[in-house]
Amino acid sequence: MRHGKYPFIIGFLVVPVALYVTFVVWAYIQAFYLSVYEWSGLGPVENFVGFDNFKKMWDDTTFWQSIKHNIFLLVFLPIITVVLALIFAFLLNVGGGQKGGVIRGVWGSKVYRIIFFFPQLLALAIVAVIFGRVFGPDKSGMINGLFPDSWSPWLFLADERYAMGCILVVLVWQAVGFYVVLFSAGMGNIPTEVYEAAAIDGASRVTLFFKITIPLLWNTVQVAWVYLGIAAFDAFALVNIMTVDRGGPDGATSVLSLMIYRNAFEFSQAGYASALGVVLFFLTLTFAWVTLSATRRESVEA
Amino acid sequence: MVAPARPAAPAPASTVPLKRRKAKADEGVITVGRSRSGTILANTAGIVFGVFMLFPVYWVLNTAFKPADEVLALEPGFWPSNPTFDNFISAFKAPLFLKDMLNGVIITLFAVAGALVVGFLGALAIARFQFYGRKAIILVVLVVQLIPFLSLLIPLFLMLQNVNLGFKTFNLTNSLIGVSITYLVLILPYTVWTLRGFISGIPRELDEAALIDGCTRSQVFWRIILPLTGPGLVATSVYGFIQAWNEFIIINTLNSPDKQNLMAWLLQNQTTRGTAWGPLMAGAIITSIPVVIFFLIIQRNIATGLTAGAVKG
Repeated sequence: MRHGKYPFIIGFLVVPVALYVTFVVWAYIQAFYLSVYEWSGLGPVENFVGFDNFKKMWDDTTFWQSIKHNIFLLVFLPIITVVLALIFAFLLNVGGGQKGGVIRGVWGSKVYRIIFFFPQLLALAIVAVIFGRVFGPDKSGMINGLFPDSWSPWLFLADERYAMGCILVVLVWQAVGFYVVLFSAGMGNIPTEVYEAAAIDGASRVTLFFKITIPLLWNTVQVAWVYLGIAAFDAFALVNIMTVDRGGPDGATSVLSLMIYRNAFEFSQAGYASALGVVLFFLTLTFAWVTLSATRRESVEA
Repeated sequence: MVAPARPAAPAPASTVPLKRRKAKADEGVITVGRSRSGTILANTAGIVFGVFMLFPVYWVLNTAFKPADEVLALEPGFWPSNPTFDNFISAFKAPLFLKDMLNGVIITLFAVAGALVVGFLGALAIARFQFYGRKAIILVVLVVQLIPFLSLLIPLFLMLQNVNLGFKTFNLTNSLIGVSITYLVLILPYTVWTLRGFISGIPRELDEAALIDGCTRSQVFWRIILPLTGPGLVATSVYGFIQAWNEFIIINTLNSPDKQNLMAWLLQNQTTRGTAWGPLMAGAIITSIPVVIFFLIIQRNIATGLTAGAVKG
């Protein structure tokens, strides 16, 4: 049986590994290499500057502004999304109370499942275009249009104070359905006996939620947290399409990924962009590692 | 309201059977500890949130079917008073729309088919063999997958500009091939990971029985594992399709408008034809239709698909 195993393994793995090494691993090595050059992005790579790109970053106010915005998203995107998704997954699965001794979801939970998943189907490009309309800064905007003409319209994305909040709303709107479905799948695996036993003992919905659902779903929540944190580090697509002046007004929505893109393809500073990419690389990995080790706890067997 | 009108479809399979079984077993247990006001509150929260989730999508449909003067009216109506298909027609007639649509189809098909073939083989190796470096491969792929793709755009651009095959160098930027390969690589880790989950779910005893009956190893893969992975292949290709079809950052950077897909087309048109919201929204709907159709096909299994890769150790 063991005979002749390696020809198969090598034969099967050679193509995927080759593709992955060329396009991802090698590309990362190149990105690291470029980060120590001052290079426009055209012509041969020359002008070695060591860590100057990183020093430049340290003194760059846009960089710190972008980091601040990434941290804002990093804090709020996972919290809001996970909380909303948990609540609604709970409502869909066990929130409807008992009938005939069986725990059920709220009325119409099958419809909700589809509705919540809908934003997931729309490409970010389309989501961005739609929410450009939702947040329209005049009466033709969807939200402003709902209020009487005498009100002065909100500026939303054109207002430094709210612009980042608008991005956050869209990110949550887009992400929440996926996590409702993910958590629902997890809750479906929790035996209903557990809930029913607790309900007979007089547990309220809130108790069921905190004492049963959350502990039994902890692993899934943890994974969700990491995914969402990583989405917060990215956020490029929405910021790039939706915001005023791309990252504006006045840098109020600039994020790290947007800086990378603009430096690379607009400001002809590919070397600096690569250095930013290296920072993003380590930030993401550090975040994932810290989150996974900080939230580790004994998983409860269902 | 295209998709929301399909609520009759069953809920994800994972939750339903359990409850049905319980319904028979537990009938007659006393109902305790649930307040009526709590139920009302829960339902209200559901409805409010449902509206919040659905409203923007409804607005797209509303705008797409309105004639131009209604779209720009100061008092936006909640229903098109004279529904029309004009916006769809003008989207189809818009420059590059059909071309970019075709590009998108070609790129997506190539990327998904390629990722399925390559990914299935990779998944087989990882799921069915123990070998040196197996854990390392899995770890590297999973970790690197976490990092935003954006930092790879510059090296990618450089590499595609100068593809050296020994006898000749090619420039694959601004070509469908370059983007197709990039997308293939982009969806490959997911494909391998998910298929690995499905393959691990096939009992090894089947392999062994076939081997004892005289199958060669290759025959085991073709005749036993491949057919049994069928549903997994479908689910995986749908997710791959959605990824590749919806991507626009890479294609926007690498290619010029006549070599882009519909997503990039939409963005182009948003900036150049700012207020033509009707055709733009119609374009957005047309662009989303394939994804919605595929979603409805696999809708039952969506939860299974999401978790298949995650649970099988």
